[in-house]
Amino acid sequence: MNAAYEFVTGPLAWAAWGIFLLGSGWRLYSMRQLAMKKDASSWAFMDLGFSLRSIVNWLIPFNALGWRKNPVMTVTTFAFHICLIAVPVFLVAHVVLWTEFFGVSYATLPDNVADIMTLVVLAACLVFAGRRLGQKEVAYITTGKDWLALVIVTLPFLTGFLAYHQVFDYQVMIIAHIVAGEIMLAAIPFTRLSHMVFAAFTRAYMGSEFGGVRHARDW
Amino acid sequence: MKRILPLLMLAALVCTSAFLAVQTVMAQDTITKLAPAAFGKLTRPPAVFNHDKHNEKAKLEECVVCHHGGADGKQDKTASTEGTPCSDCHKVKPAGKATSLQRAYHKQCIACHRAKGKGPLACGQCHVR
Repeated sequence: MNAAYEFVTGPLAWAAWGIFLLGSGWRLYSMRQLAMKKDASSWAFMDLGFSLRSIVNWLIPFNALGWRKNPVMTVTTFAFHICLIAVPVFLVAHVVLWTEFFGVSYATLPDNVADIMTLVVLAACLVFAGRRLGQKEVAYITTGKDWLALVIVTLPFLTGFLAYHQVFDYQVMIIAHIVAGEIMLAAIPFTRLSHMVFAAFTRAYMGSEFGGVRHARDW
Repeated sequence: MKRILPLLMLAALVCTSAFLAVQTVMAQDTITKLAPAAFGKLTRPPAVFNHDKHNEKAKLEECVVCHHGGADGKQDKTASTEGTPCSDCHKVKPAGKATSLQRAYHKQCIACHRAKGKGPLACGQCHVR
């Protein structure tokens, strides 16, 4: 079991971070090349001011019309994304690992708060799944890729919760958790999760076109 | 009477040392968890550690393997410090380059387990609920 743990926290972790960072860089670069080739005119109206204006306005809950029209989705998605990022980054157990491996240390969330935030992520995943099944207009455009992204995100939090509470076989669960997290990292550039990398640019594109071309708000 | 007094004093000395020695060994025997008071309220359940059983299993004879000396963030593996609590040197929030108490425990245990390829490595293996 020690050899397995050493492997997933060593070579496999380096591979996952490598794929995530290099893959994200490559996806951004190739998307830029594609946009310049197929949508050259869009480069002319890209504008930093309109971009930031759109990004900021969409970052405020219930500010954009799209948020106000879907209150359940708005609450769920904001809670989900905040917890999704904050829990893995500021979890005590994860920061201890940064200290063990690289000697760096920073602020952490209390364990009981992180525990509740993990449940928020899992509950949000259920809402997203229910929405894909039950809401007609969403179900219509849902494909296997959407389900894959949802499963990839759910697993690290589910296994992390079970490992933390030491339910089932701890040694198996902790390795499953680490592998699930690494799959998620590596999958970011190449699945629907790539919106983590692209979202700001998508918003900037829309904001620039609405601001500079249509002279309208896009929120 | 003049002869008895030094003998009594000697006897008292022998008894006191024997008592202290037995107490130290008994203390080692009763250590099953690492929860130094210096930590205050614990974040995780204390690490499970049975001193004598561990050393028997790990075939550790020398105290200095764990109970090292040192100063200014540098370990001295020749100066044995058994009997001195870890928290006397390793502070919970140390000043400067000194190793913190938590890091000292983690480093001491995990580095050895990693080197030997035996013993727990992941959080919950020591911090058992």
